[in-house]
Amino acid sequence: MNAPEQSMARRLRISGVLIILGLLVEALSLVRIHPLAFLGFMFIGGGLLAAGMIVYLFALVSVVPPS
Amino acid sequence: MPSPTTLLYLLIGASILLIAFLIARPSLTASRGGKQLAFVVLFLLPVVVASMGAAEHMRRSEQTEFCLSCHIMASYGQSLHIDDATYIPAAHFQNARIPRDQACYTCHTDYVMYGTIGDKMRGLHHVYVQYLGKAAVPIRLYTPFNNRECLHCHAGARSFEEGAVHNADPSIMAAIKANQLSCMSSGCHENIHDVAHLSQLKFWQEPK
Repeated sequence: MNAPEQSMARRLRISGVLIILGLLVEALSLVRIHPLAFLGFMFIGGGLLAAGMIVYLFALVSVVPPS
Repeated sequence: MPSPTTLLYLLIGASILLIAFLIARPSLTASRGGKQLAFVVLFLLPVVVASMGAAEHMRRSEQTEFCLSCHIMASYGQSLHIDDATYIPAAHFQNARIPRDQACYTCHTDYVMYGTIGDKMRGLHHVYVQYLGKAAVPIRLYTPFNNRECLHCHAGARSFEEGAVHNADPSIMAAIKANQLSCMSSGCHENIHDVAHLSQLKFWQEPK
């Protein structure tokens, strides 16, 4: 695996981990009917998901095309 | 048909498995199919899960249980069980004129997250006050109760439209509908939650 591919794989892993954490928070937030569950869903879960998606999109646009 | 929550859990589980697979084998994304899979699991699925989750949380926040989970609201929940038909919220709750599991939301439709951005900020402030601050006692509505909340059920109802008091003067009905004459504070239906006097009142026992 060359350097750009390694970089891409690393970003995909970071993105995947962030999204998995976000999904776990969202799953946990559904356990209780409570305002804090709603806020946890929105800010912690939503924040982790958004961060993961941004890292993934950044990985896509930062790929150097082969010359 | 599984419930929305079950569907959401299934979708979250499937998403986590697919993402874990992709993390374990990132070289998959070198192929066209792998790139498409990555786009689905790292972008589309999270968007779908977040949208479904937000809809489910909004639905749950309409529940009476949600509103009463804050300590300061407990006495308002108790006031729904006052054994006196002149108490408007209690009479509506006990006679199932409103859905019992959405009792608060049915009459306070524009409250906090269901209103404007300013109302949503108030909702966040309520959470802050609940855990880190000190609530004003007694708590009050930010704006006077709007007749609209009554009229979204009573407007058009025969008992309301043909009621003798409502039609005692031709101007009364127009004033009620224009929210110029309050249903509650004009002295007609003034018995509402009255949490200050709960200790002096009798309560209805809701059948299990």
